[in-house]
This record gives sequence, structure tokens and C-alpha cells, in this order.
Amino acid sequence: MKLRLFAGVSVLVMTAGLSACSSSSDDSDGSSGGSTTIDVWLMRDSVSAEFQKDFVKGFEAAHPDIKVKVQIQEWDGVGEKVTAALASSDAPDVIETGNTQVAQFAQSGGLLDLSDKVDELGGKDWLKGLAEPGAFEGKQYGIPYYAANRVVIYRTDLFKEAGVEPAAIKTRDQWIAATKKLNSGDTQGIYLPGQMWYALAGFVWDEGGDLATESGGKWQGGLDTPEAIRGMEFYEKLQALGKGPKDSDEDSPPQADVMAKGKVAQVISTPGGANVIVENNPELKGKLGFFPIPGKTAGTPGAVFTGGSDLVIPTASAKQDAAYTFIKELTGDAWQKKLAVAMSYVPNKTTLADAVASDPGASAMAVGAAEGHATPNTPGWAAVEAKNPIKDYMTAVLTGGDPEQEAPTASEAITTAMNSGS
Amino acid sequence: MSAVREQTAPHPPPSTHRPRRTTGPGGRGPSKDGGRGIWPYVLIAPAVLGTLYLLVYPLIRAVVISLQDFGLRQLILGDARFVGLKNYETLLGDSRFWEVVRRTFLFMAVNVVLIMVLSTLVALMIERLGRFGRIAVLSALVLTWAMPVIAATTVFQWLFHSEFGIVNAVLTDLGFESFDRYPWFAHGPAAFAILVALIVWQSVPFAAITLYSALTTVPTELYESARLDGASGPRIFRSITFPIVRPIFMLVLSLEVIWTFKAFVQIWVMTNGGPGDATTILPVYAVQTALSSQRYDLGSAASMVTVVLMSGVLVLYFRQMFRQEDELS
Repeated sequence: MKLRLFAGVSVLVMTAGLSACSSSSDDSDGSSGGSTTIDVWLMRDSVSAEFQKDFVKGFEAAHPDIKVKVQIQEWDGVGEKVTAALASSDAPDVIETGNTQVAQFAQSGGLLDLSDKVDELGGKDWLKGLAEPGAFEGKQYGIPYYAANRVVIYRTDLFKEAGVEPAAIKTRDQWIAATKKLNSGDTQGIYLPGQMWYALAGFVWDEGGDLATESGGKWQGGLDTPEAIRGMEFYEKLQALGKGPKDSDEDSPPQADVMAKGKVAQVISTPGGANVIVENNPELKGKLGFFPIPGKTAGTPGAVFTGGSDLVIPTASAKQDAAYTFIKELTGDAWQKKLAVAMSYVPNKTTLADAVASDPGASAMAVGAAEGHATPNTPGWAAVEAKNPIKDYMTAVLTGGDPEQEAPTASEAITTAMNSGS
Repeated sequence: MSAVREQTAPHPPPSTHRPRRTTGPGGRGPSKDGGRGIWPYVLIAPAVLGTLYLLVYPLIRAVVISLQDFGLRQLILGDARFVGLKNYETLLGDSRFWEVVRRTFLFMAVNVVLIMVLSTLVALMIERLGRFGRIAVLSALVLTWAMPVIAATTVFQWLFHSEFGIVNAVLTDLGFESFDRYPWFAHGPAAFAILVALIVWQSVPFAAITLYSALTTVPTELYESARLDGASGPRIFRSITFPIVRPIFMLVLSLEVIWTFKAFVQIWVMTNGGPGDATTILPVYAVQTALSSQRYDLGSAASMVTVVLMSGVLVLYFRQMFRQEDELS
């Protein structure tokens, strides 16, 4: 019953959106005569309003025959929205999607194969964490756009009070020792909600484990390997050094709010989170610092999940050439440098990393990016994230469950989810 | 019982009289000026077409999809192929599906029993309250009823939050130390119980107000004479009140069965069907299968099975209702 409602609503929303698009493109077609208008979907927080204005102005000046109409989409429920767009006959011409989402759309046949453009776009320097998930069965569908990974955001004043020197935290053991010291009185050493599975993934990768592995075309959950269990044990140790709720993720309540309002010494977040914290509590301006998530040894920083976005062109787009021109500009070196500085993101090429060297958050992130990992690159992974047995597993262990017993159940659930998709 | 039926005999005439009065003018209108015979159809056409397009078409489409091999690829490229009843075979052969069906019935039964008992008690209480108390309780019920579903669900989520929730804070203050930071939504039975509490809380107002309005139709003379005969409170309820309000009671009951059977929003917002599968009932299962795993075919099949199961439950009700009407006429 609800399924029909969903379909109905999405159709309505789509029609409303599309009719709005088409009417406005009619206008601009009329006024500029012969030019093409492309519809572009970018995600919330992908670009600031100012950057968007600058870019569109610059782009239209360089390509007078193309007009750009940007729509900002919300991350929440974007998978269904893009699915509906790809299935419609009047899809947008360029879509930004999360790097882990490209595989399932590519498999569905809804995306344009851009393999022959890789060299032209400088593909050899692309960040692996963006380029690999953007490819499916040897073909490149997603063009790397920008990346972001998690770092530790800390309160400089609380560190000073406790006499902890953040620059000296290079290994996990030092991290735990420092956090223990911070976690006294009404100060929380770290606010780590129990279900931040991206953080767990990092610890598992540090140990040499993985969330799932493939053999002979079949995927299998990997949480029950000894490596993955060690990762979970470290998470448990760290989580106990603060009052993070054991049964929720970083969004409920938003951890930026928690850090803004309470005495929280550290959170794990993308550097952009610092802006939200300051927005919620202006008193913390200038009191937030960043360091990369520590690894097992001083030489290697902790492994992190490379989050970020790729740009794709739907097969249903009628203006694929103009769409490609747009992607080429936005992912080109000139605009990438500006974007990275404006938004504190890691640019899409390793060669451009210098662009953000002066930004403390982005440079802490760049250290971690060297150890960037991606979630399993298969269409089935989306089903795991949707149901997320990893979160249930984490809560079960944190509330007293035995990892040795809980992990096989969780692994089994991952295996089922990954192979249940088409 | 037969005595009661005789006693209630005076009641049906007014109630059957009412429908006649309302249909009266409508029935007379067209027959007077038969020339305008087409107008009623023209006027009702938009509504019928709208219903056909928004309800019947998607229903047929869902039936068709449930008979096809229909994943994300087919949704986007549109070359779905018919596979007969294969999806139903897959679905019915899946032990997880049967687990979900069992849980759905359990969920429905617990909710409906609680809703009916509580709302009957509330309705009986309102009837006995003075003017002020009655207004106060009715206002509280209407306000609860008016609360948007998502808002109420979010509030419940916060009440039971492990770290910031007031329930844990109060329980800990009262000396139940084990509830300090107790993660309600991490335990299947606890999450299930919270959802039941939420749905019962949201459903009682409608049921209680409807039952209360039915209670007001019971003639007071019956109560008086029963009391003169020395009947006790429970006895009066069993032999007089309940038989008279029974049609309304059964109507509310069947509506609640439908509503709790397809409760979705609360579960989806609060637990997403988790932890594990602890709060996954059929509609949640169908959406998970269709939208998360991109198996639109299996999701449609699950919806179809849901419809069939729900019809099965309701057939029992309709049979009962028709039999009752036969007896009355």
C-alpha cells in the first residue's frame, strides 16, 4: 500500500520539478536564441551559494552557448530521487551522487559510459577513493568531483586545561591515553555515538580486515574475522571514554549540536563539521583544532573512509555534450582548486593537494586521505547501508554483547543483503 | 441475549430512519427531472477518474510488477519480462517472510486489543464524568488525535533516547539504576513495546470518541430498569451497553485492524524495522525489499500478499456484520 503511495508521491514531485525545469528552459531558450540549457543536480553542502554563483558565471562566460541551471538536492532520500530521475524520460543532464552510489546506478544501465574521456580529464591523478567507486565492470561512469574524510575535531581550550598536547598524538595508544586524561569531571573525552560505522570501518581497515570480501563473484560479510573483531574492540574502548549514546549514530542527535552545547573534548567528523559547531555556539570560534585519526603506529595515519561525490550523466539526458563540457570545467584543475579552498574539501586529484595546505582542517584531512578506503564496490552494498546490520552489531557489542558471538550474525546479515539485490 | 434483542428493538427504527432521511432528497431529485440524468455522472466523473488513476492504476501496476522480473535495471530501461508466479514462490519460500507475517499479526493483535480495551474504558469514563471533566478529557483526546504522526513519533523517540531521554532520567531518579543510559531501541522487545505504546496512544482518541458517541445513544430508561432489577455494573455493560454499541464497536475494531496492519510511518521513522528484524512488519518489509534492495518485483508481491491477508481478516468482520444486519431486519 505504502509503496504505491511512495511511487505516487515521487511521480508527483518529479512532474512538478520537471515542469518547473522545462518552463524555465523555454524562457532562456527564447531569450538567448539557439543556446542549450542544462539541468544540474548538486548536493546540499557540495558548493556554497557564492561558489555556485561564481562558477556558473565563469562557465557561461567561457561557453556562451550553454546555460546552466543548478538545483541543490538534499542527501536524505537522494537515492530514490536519482532512481526516479534516471527512470524518467526527462532526466537532469548532470547529477552529483555519493561515490558509493555510482555502482548501482551504473549497473542499472542508466548512466553514460565516460571511459573514453578519462585521459582527457587527467584520470591518472584522480583520487582512488573517488575513481574506483565511480567505475563498474571496467568502465568509468562517475567522474571524481571532490572528497572528504573524517578527522578528529578537538577543543583547544579543554586540551590545554588537561595538559594534553594534540600534536603528540600519533598512535592509537597515545590517543586512548590522552582521551582518558581528558575524560574527567564533566568533560567528555570523546563524544562517539555507538553507531558511527564509518569510524569502525577505519579501525577494521587499520587491522587489515574489511567490511566484506569477494571471492568468485560472491560477496561475504567480513565482520567476524579476527581483524574486524579487533577493530570493534578498539571502538568499544574509545567509545567508553565519553557519553556517546550506544544506540544511535552521529545524526540523532546531531553530534555538532552536542559538541557545541556540552564540554566535549573531541568528535570524529569531517572538517566541515567545525563550521556547524561554531554556528551553534559562536563562543567556540577559534577554539577548535584538527588532527588526523591516529593509526596503529606513528608512521601511518589511521585508515579512513573516503567520502565524496562523483558527477554522472544519465543516458536519458538529451544534452550529453553540453553536460560533459560542464563536468570537464567543474572537475578541471582551475575550479577544483577554488572549490577545495572555498569548501575545505580534498580536490579530486592527488596533484592538487597543495591547494588546501593552508587550511588546518583540510590539511589534517589530506594526511588521512593517503590511507583512504572505499566501501565494497558493488551494487549490493547500497542494500547493506539501507538496512545497516553493522549499526545493530555495534550497539549489541557496546551494550555488553560478545563480539565473537555477535559478529557472525552481523556478517551473515551483510552477506544476505549484498546478494539479495539483483 | 434474546431478551436484550427485544429490548433493543426500539433502537433500530431511529437509526434506520436516519439513513432514509438523508438519502431521501438525493433519491428524489434526479427522478423529478429525469432529463438531467447525465449530470450526476458528469459531476462525479473527475472524482472517479482521479480514483482510477491514483488508486486502481497503481494497484494494477503493482500486480503486473509482482509477476515480472523487475529490478532497478528494468525500472530505468523498461524491458521487464514476465516470470509468472516466480516472485511469489521466492517470497513464500523465504523463512524470513513468514517470520515477518507472524510478527505482523502479533503486532496487530497486541495493538488492537489494547486500543479497544483502553478506548472502551475511556468512553465509559467520559460518559460518567461531569460537564467540566468531560470537556477536559475530550479536549485532551482531540489534541492527541490532532498531533501529526511524524511529530509524535519524533517526540517518542526523544522520550526514550538512551542518553538524553526523560524516561531514563526519571527511572534512574526513582532508583531504577539499571535504566541509566538504557538503550531502548537496541533491544527488540523494548523497541516493539515503545512502538505499540506510540500507536495505541495515537489510536485511542478516535476509538474512544467514536465509542463515546455510540454510548450516548443508549436510552437511559434501559439503565434505570436494569438497575431496578438489581443488575451490577459489569452485568449492565455485558447485557445492555455492549449489545447496543456492538455495530459501532465492530466498525472501530475493523478500522483499527486495518490501520495497525499497515502501520508504517511510525516504524519507519523510529526504528527502520530494527534492531535486526524486531519491528519489521509487512509494509516495512515490502518497502525495504523494494526500495533498499531494489527488488520492486518482490516488494510488490509482498504488498499483494499483505492485501490478501488483510482481506482475509476483514471478511470475518463483514460476515459478522451482514449476519447481524439480517437479524435486525
